[in-house]
Amino acid sequence: MFNVTKITIRRLVLISTVATLLSLALMVASILFPSPMLLVVAMSMGQALGTASLILYLLAIALDLQGYGEHDELGSAGSAGSGTGGE
Amino acid sequence: MLELHSTEDVLRLSALVASFIAIVILVYYLVVRPPLGRATKVVLLFGLGVMPLAVSLAGNISGFEYTLKTDFCGSCHVMRPYVEDAADRTSTSLASIHSRNSTFGHESCYTCHADYQIFGAMTTKANGLKHLYYYVTEYSNTGPYGEGGKPIHMYKPFKNTMCTRCHSTEAPRWSLVEEHAGMLEDIRKGDAKCIDCHTGDKIHPRAFAHGGSGKAVAAAGSAAPVHAAEK
Repeated sequence: MFNVTKITIRRLVLISTVATLLSLALMVASILFPSPMLLVVAMSMGQALGTASLILYLLAIALDLQGYGEHDELGSAGSAGSGTGGE
Repeated sequence: MLELHSTEDVLRLSALVASFIAIVILVYYLVVRPPLGRATKVVLLFGLGVMPLAVSLAGNISGFEYTLKTDFCGSCHVMRPYVEDAADRTSTSLASIHSRNSTFGHESCYTCHADYQIFGAMTTKANGLKHLYYYVTEYSNTGPYGEGGKPIHMYKPFKNTMCTRCHSTEAPRWSLVEEHAGMLEDIRKGDAKCIDCHTGDKIHPRAFAHGGSGKAVAAAGSAAPVHAAEK
């Protein structure tokens, strides 16, 4: 179905990190400069983005803990990196 | 910029501190790109989960608190005449008198238009979104006092219960007013409206005098519930 590799997992974490930074920027802006529009955007888009990024991160961790990408890693790099121990 | 005078200020500061910690963690990850080992995962969980949740929680509470304040209501320019009148300490309008109250004066808009509280926070936010929608679509290009925009009016009639929450009709000083004493039962039943006598021009006179929406509403004598001329 989907070919999940270590790179896929790292990309998920990367997307999650960038999305969280964006959502934090919106939320901080609404705290520092509270205006109706900013508050609405921060409380809707900002939090939706933050929630989605956390879900992405948890998905990435779940895939990693399940051992997805291990064979790909061993096959391509020839290293013995474990699912939870790094790349 | 950020002075700690209330719980809301403490929450705002907490949110900023939590967001700073999260940003440091995330930027470090993006720059250094450490291996996704156990320690990295735990630290990232703080940066992506725990801290943003704290920011969201503290930010939401302080945000909701801020939406109660007169400053927030006045941040849309069409509310300027209403808020200016409320802020005028020399004015004898009802908006100004209520805004000088040390207990709730800084939240006088919300306090007096408080049927929001009866229906709960969700309805308040839904109505607030409606305000924002109309502001953006119909009033954003109007004059400094809302000139050129459609008359501003309330969504529903101003009920006596909004006044009698505080003015219980039981206080001797209130009953000393001849008109009050003469129609006590009618006021309590809601057959006589408070705003029939305490009309919009006595509550928000500037809104009815500046030539903007308020005056348009007053002049039109509309059958719509416009007495307090607030949106």
